[in-house]
Amino acid sequence: MQHTVEGPTNNEVLENLRLELRRGCLILAVLAELRDERYGYTLRKALAGQGMEIDEGTLYPLLRRLESQGLLVSEWREEDKRNKRFYRLSADGKLILKQLSAEWKSINASLDGIL
Amino acid sequence: MELIERYLQAVKFALPPEQRDDIIKELRDNILSQVEEKEAELGNPLSEDEQVELLKKLGSPMRLASRYRKQQQMIGATMFPIYWKVLKASLALAFLVLAAASIATAAAGKTLMESLGVLFRYPSVALMTFAWITLAFSALEFFGARLRLKDTWDPRKLPPLVKQSPRKSRFELIAQLLVQTIFGVWWLAGLHYQYLILGPGIAFLRFGPVWQTIYPLFVVMVLVDLTLTAAMLVWPQWIQGRRVSRLVMSALGLVVLYFLINAPDLFVAADSITPQLQALAKGTNYGVHLGLVIAAIVSVVNIGIESVRFVGRRLGRVHQATVS
Repeated sequence: MQHTVEGPTNNEVLENLRLELRRGCLILAVLAELRDERYGYTLRKALAGQGMEIDEGTLYPLLRRLESQGLLVSEWREEDKRNKRFYRLSADGKLILKQLSAEWKSINASLDGIL
Repeated sequence: MELIERYLQAVKFALPPEQRDDIIKELRDNILSQVEEKEAELGNPLSEDEQVELLKKLGSPMRLASRYRKQQQMIGATMFPIYWKVLKASLALAFLVLAAASIATAAAGKTLMESLGVLFRYPSVALMTFAWITLAFSALEFFGARLRLKDTWDPRKLPPLVKQSPRKSRFELIAQLLVQTIFGVWWLAGLHYQYLILGPGIAFLRFGPVWQTIYPLFVVMVLVDLTLTAAMLVWPQWIQGRRVSRLVMSALGLVVLYFLINAPDLFVAADSITPQLQALAKGTNYGVHLGLVIAAIVSVVNIGIESVRFVGRRLGRVHQATVS
């Protein structure tokens, strides 16, 4: 006898897993992009330009979280007649980025072998 | 750009209070940057439909704001701000109902312990309120998720902009302090020299003994009132000043009302022999008593409303806004 359990569809499962996979990558991408100082809007465009689309609802809370973890520093400054919050990597952020990049390369190499 | 401001206002409503202004400032800049880019691309200002489209891309205000909150266990981050506000309002309402019942018991001539006993039932009532509301919202969260409620919202239906009440100017505060001082001196002196308050009426009525019994309370009220206004004058950045002031004065007023409501004779006849004056004193006491009971109920409602707003803000600050 075959039992069927009502649950999420394959598409939903795929979407959830894709989001999970992207989450860690996004952090790495954001940290890497913030080696140069940027404000949210230009950061988002820079990421999109590299094929890493990220919506505001994900990016801005992520920036705040990374800042609260001490990986980013920010300051309000006027540019184009409007106040903008500029972010850049902190000293801790630079160190973490280096370690995460090494981790990423290691995982990538392993996965290449596995896949 | 009113639509954008209305959107930001709706997002702000559900944000953690301590980061609210900062987040909104950043979001506003981001949205305006997008608008500018789009307008440069199109070569004309964005129509309402284009603004709606842009805002829809950002997601509903509650959803966007929820990303800035820590994920709750039973109630999701999207639902949590509404749950929190409903819970606070319901707890305050429960308090108001019990406080009104307590005052009514006191007005009915019951003892202090009996009237306070009604109020002491608050912890169990509050617990029940908390349990039912949490249960209702958990169910809403659960079934909402099961039904996969769509994020159908329309920026056009966002509430209109609310004007912020401006902070009192230094001149207004000085004028207020002056009026409070004159009133305080008049009132405190008038309780001793009754003709200052009763005027020609002193030929018919005098204050009952209760006014002298609670005289120290009036002194405290006047001093506290003046101190709070002076504090707002010295520290204009004390945003909660007006609210604290109203709350403290309402609470002190309620204590005064309690004693007055329970006093048998608020006014006595100037002449204890004349029957007409006795009747006048009796009628006045009845009317004033009734007025005091109504004043007490209004005062309790005010305290409830002010407490909810004040405690809400304080709790909001404590509620950590780490991002999920």
